[in-house]
Amino acid sequence: MTPAKSPSQHDEILKTLQLYVDGCKQGKGELMRPAFHPEASSFGYAGGQLAVGTRFLFDWIDRNGPAPDIESRIVSVDILDSIAVVRLEVTNWSGKLAGSGVHMSDLFTFLRMPEGWRIIQKAFHWHS
Amino acid sequence: MTERNTPQRTLESWKQIAAFLDRSERTVRRWEAREGLPVHRQGHYKHDTVFAYRHEIEAWTRRRTRFAGKDIAETRPVADDLFQIGASANRYLVEHDAITRTMDRYIAGARAGDGELMRPAFHTEATMSGYCQGVEYSGSIKHVFEWVTVNGPAPNIEPRFARIEIIETIALVHLEVRHWSGKLAGANCRASDVFTLLKLNGEWKITHKLFHWHNDQA
Repeated sequence: MTPAKSPSQHDEILKTLQLYVDGCKQGKGELMRPAFHPEASSFGYAGGQLAVGTRFLFDWIDRNGPAPDIESRIVSVDILDSIAVVRLEVTNWSGKLAGSGVHMSDLFTFLRMPEGWRIIQKAFHWHS
Repeated sequence: MTERNTPQRTLESWKQIAAFLDRSERTVRRWEAREGLPVHRQGHYKHDTVFAYRHEIEAWTRRRTRFAGKDIAETRPVADDLFQIGASANRYLVEHDAITRTMDRYIAGARAGDGELMRPAFHTEATMSGYCQGVEYSGSIKHVFEWVTVNGPAPNIEPRFARIEIIETIALVHLEVRHWSGKLAGANCRASDVFTLLKLNGEWKITHKLFHWHNDQA
C-alpha cells in the first residue's frame, strides 16, 4: 500500500476520525458512532481485560465521561482504493474508568462506503 | 546475511529444496501445500519449474523448528523463556515469528482451497469486509472460509508480507497475494489484504480481514 496519494481521500478519512476523537474527548459514544460502519468490530485489552465490540466501546466512553486533556496524534494513514489503515496514538486519557494519563494505541481499518469512509475495525492497546 | 551472496542463492527444483531441508520431495511438497513453505514458480501452472530462495526457506524453517514436533495449531510462543533472557529484540522476534506462523496457516488454507485449514488462525468472532466486483461484503469470517472452500485450490499463489506492525497485544499485517486462481477468483487475481490480529492466551489470532481485489492482470 503506498502512502496516501490523494489529499481529498486523506482528508475525508481524517474527518471521520475526528468524530472518534471528539467522542473520546467529550465522553459521548453517540458522537463517535457515525464514524463506524454498522458492522464494525472492536478488540483490545483495556486495563488488562479483553473488550470486544463497538457497543461495549460506546458504552465505555459514556461511562468514562469527558477527557478534556486528551491528546491524539496520527502516526500513519495508508489508503488503497476502497480500504485504508490509520494508526492513532492517544495520550492523557483520563476519566472515571480510565483513571489518569492513559496512553492508548489504536489501529483503525476503514472501508470506503458510498456515504463516506467508515471505521470497520478498531484494534487497541492500552499501555500500562 | 552472507548466505545471500553465495553462488547458489536459489534452489532450483523440488530435488534441491528437499536436499536443502534434508527431507523427501513428498514431505517438502506437503509443506508447501499445508504449511506455507515459500516456493515460487516460473510460470503459472502447478507443474511448472519451481524455485525457492534460500533465505526465505531458512526464515520459514526458523519459525517452524522453534517448535519442532508440534502441530502448528498447538504451538505457543516461548515468550516467557525469552523474557528471562531480557533482550527486547528477542521478544520482538518471538512476536513477529508467531504472527507470521498464524499467517502461514491462513496462506496454507488459501493455497489448499480449504477454509477449515485456515480456521485456527482466526478468532472465533473474527469478521471480514471488502468489495468484490463493486459489491460490499461485511460480516462473519465464516464467509471467507466458505469462499476459500468453494473457490478451491490456488496452488500458484505468491504471498508477500508488505507490512507487519506490532503494538504489544495487537498487530496489523498487510499481505499482498499474487496469482490467486480458482472457481471464484478466476484465472489470475491479485489481492491486497489487511489483517488485524490480537494476542490471545499467548497466540496471535486474526480478528479482521479487510480485502481488496485488484483489477489488473498482475
